[in-house]
Formats: sequence, structure tokens, C-alpha cells
Amino acid sequence: MKTKLATVLPIMVLLGACYPKGPDYVEDADVVATSYDVKYDFKAKSTFAMPDKIVVDVSIDRGDTTYEYMLPAFATPILGAIQSDMEKYGWQRVDIDEDPDVVLTPAGISSTTYFYSYWYDWWYYGWGWYYPPYYTVSSYTTGTLIMVLSDPSQAANSPIRRSPAVWTAAGNGLLTGYYDVSRATDAIHQAFAQSPYLKTN
Amino acid sequence: MPSAMKKIIILTLLGICACTMLMAQNNFAVSYAIAQPTGDLNSFIGKTSFRGISFDYRYTVKDNIAIGFSASMNTFYESKPKDTYTVDNISLTGKQYRYSNNIPLLVTGTYFLSPEEPMKPFVTLGLGTMYSRRNTDMNLYTVELEAWNFALQPEIGVQYELSDMTALHLSLKYMQGFQAGNELKSAQSFFSLNIGFAFY
Repeated sequence: MKTKLATVLPIMVLLGACYPKGPDYVEDADVVATSYDVKYDFKAKSTFAMPDKIVVDVSIDRGDTTYEYMLPAFATPILGAIQSDMEKYGWQRVDIDEDPDVVLTPAGISSTTYFYSYWYDWWYYGWGWYYPPYYTVSSYTTGTLIMVLSDPSQAANSPIRRSPAVWTAAGNGLLTGYYDVSRATDAIHQAFAQSPYLKTN
Repeated sequence: MPSAMKKIIILTLLGICACTMLMAQNNFAVSYAIAQPTGDLNSFIGKTSFRGISFDYRYTVKDNIAIGFSASMNTFYESKPKDTYTVDNISLTGKQYRYSNNIPLLVTGTYFLSPEEPMKPFVTLGLGTMYSRRNTDMNLYTVELEAWNFALQPEIGVQYELSDMTALHLSLKYMQGFQAGNELKSAQSFFSLNIGFAFY
């Protein structure tokens, strides 16, 4: 048995080394996606409004809607990054009451995916013996930061009287216990960098 | 029963003898393969693959002619730095991890130039199929494209006899997997350098 193990083990190690590696850090899985309405004339617009808080959850209890907001420690740098990127592209921030050309709404979502796997001993199928299955439960949590630009004047043209999004951006990544806000602000800068059509200046 | 047993023993012994006689006609090569992608595969992954293995079995039918089969695996991998990929009005930025696994399964015909010499150069033509699986990973998702290509593989090489039973095996193969199906839209091709041992 000893000799067998001595020959099998190096082979297993060798075969394992053959498999190419993938991402090393959670940041390696970060992606930023943007899409826009090709018919929308961003150049003709100049002002935008945006809220001071970022919604992370909504609960509706007996008709009452309650919003849960992101902690200011994270929301402030995120909102700051959005505003400075918009201003760099020539937009001017105005209050929501001042008839802005477009409204930018940021939102944060985290979702946890659970998955479980189990295996039976193969005897269970082959011979009908009872054998307890083993379960393993794992999970991962992803965080998504969404930015939506919409034009309030377009609401009248919509059958549901809501303005359609003219630009949407989503930054998605794996969340770990360690929260680094620069991953979110980097995603924001990237979203603007890959959307040069937003430029008004 | 004992007589039947005797027959079985005799037949088994005869079988073993026959096998050892046949062994002289067997030529089994195991080699490590280094591969360089060409064509469409090269534009997907430019990096040389150091993950490859090849099994080549040849059965000598005449002094210098052998038929056999070949099974190999060549894995290509490259990680692309953070970049933006744009299709129509959608842009996606992130790191990409690209994989290409190729498993050629071929029937081969070999011609040995000097079968009696210790140094045996040979040419082989392989014909068969190659399974190709291409994965592009981004974020937590993968885009997977598969194909069973019709495959043609010319090979030149040499076997250098070390003893009555073993030889050094060195060969250069060019794999051409023709376009197949509608997932992977191009032919998959690569060169591979195979270094190993042959057993008679």
C-alpha cells in the first residue's frame, strides 16, 4: 500500500499542477457594464439632479415603503465620485426642484447565492442500501452598484408614465468581509470612462 | 474440471507467449507536449502551452509501416488584463480568463525511414476528430464554446533506441482541426513539440 501511494501521489500532484489557474483576488472578478440609448442626444442636455443618499434596500410593510440607505461612510465617497465624474463631462448639478434635464439615481444591491451539493455513496443506487447522503452548503455574496440616468421629460411618452433609462451602469463584484470603498469608486470612474458619449463639453 | 483447468492454464501461457512475441510489433510512446497556437486559436490565446500530454500507439504491420492511434490533450490558457469589450451600445470592463482545451483522437499511419537502425526517423499522418472547448471567463460567468472538429495531423519525428524495449521519442506535430458546428466558428490549429519515451 505504501508503494502504491508513493507512485499515485506524485502523479496526482503533477496532474493538479497541469490545470491552469484563474482569478487570484476577489477584485479580479470585478466587472463594469454600461449601456445607453443610442438615439438619445446627451450633448443637448446640461443639468442633472441626484439624491444625497444611496438606497440599498426597500421594505414594504402594510403599504408603507421604507428605504434603507447606505452608511454615509461609504455613500459620501461614492456620491462624490459620481458628481465629480459628471462635472468632468460638463454636467451641472442642480436641485431636483430646478427642472433638471436628467436624473441620476444610484443604488446598491447585495445578493447572496447559496448552493448546496450532496453525494450519495454509489452503493445506494447499485444495491439499494441505505446510506446517508452528505450535504455541503456554500455561499457567495455579490455586490452591485447601479447608476441610472433618466430623462423626466420622456415620462409622458411612456405607457407607464415613467421615464426610461437613457444610460445604465452596473459595477459588480464579489463582496468580502473587508469593505474597500475604492473598489466602488474605481467602478464609477470606469463606467464614465467607457461612456464617452455622456460628454456635453 | 481439472482437465478444463489444465486447458485454461495452457491457453493462458500460450496467450502470454503470443503477447510477448507481439510486443516487438508494438510501439507505444508517451510524451510531454509543448504547443504553440496558430490561426484563430492564436488570436484567442497567443501564449505557448506547457500543459500537454500525448499517447501514441503504433502497431508495425511491415518493417517500416505502422498503423495506430493517437490521443492527446493540449490546454491553452491566458489571462487578459483589465480591458473594455464593446458590442453595439453595451460595454463591459473586466479581467478575462481564457482557456482552450483540445483533445485530438486520431487514427494514424506511420512510415519509419530506417527501422533497423538505432536512430529511427519517421513521418506520421493522423486522421480523426478533435474535441475543442473554449472558455472565456469574466466575473463569475463563463462563455463556453465547443466543437468536434474533423482533424488532420501531419507529424515528423525520431525515435532513438536506448535498449531493446525503450527509445527516446521526439516529434513535431501540426494539428489542423477544421471548422465544425456553429459554436466555434473557425478552424483550430496548433503546433506541438512532443518529448517522451517509446516502449516496444
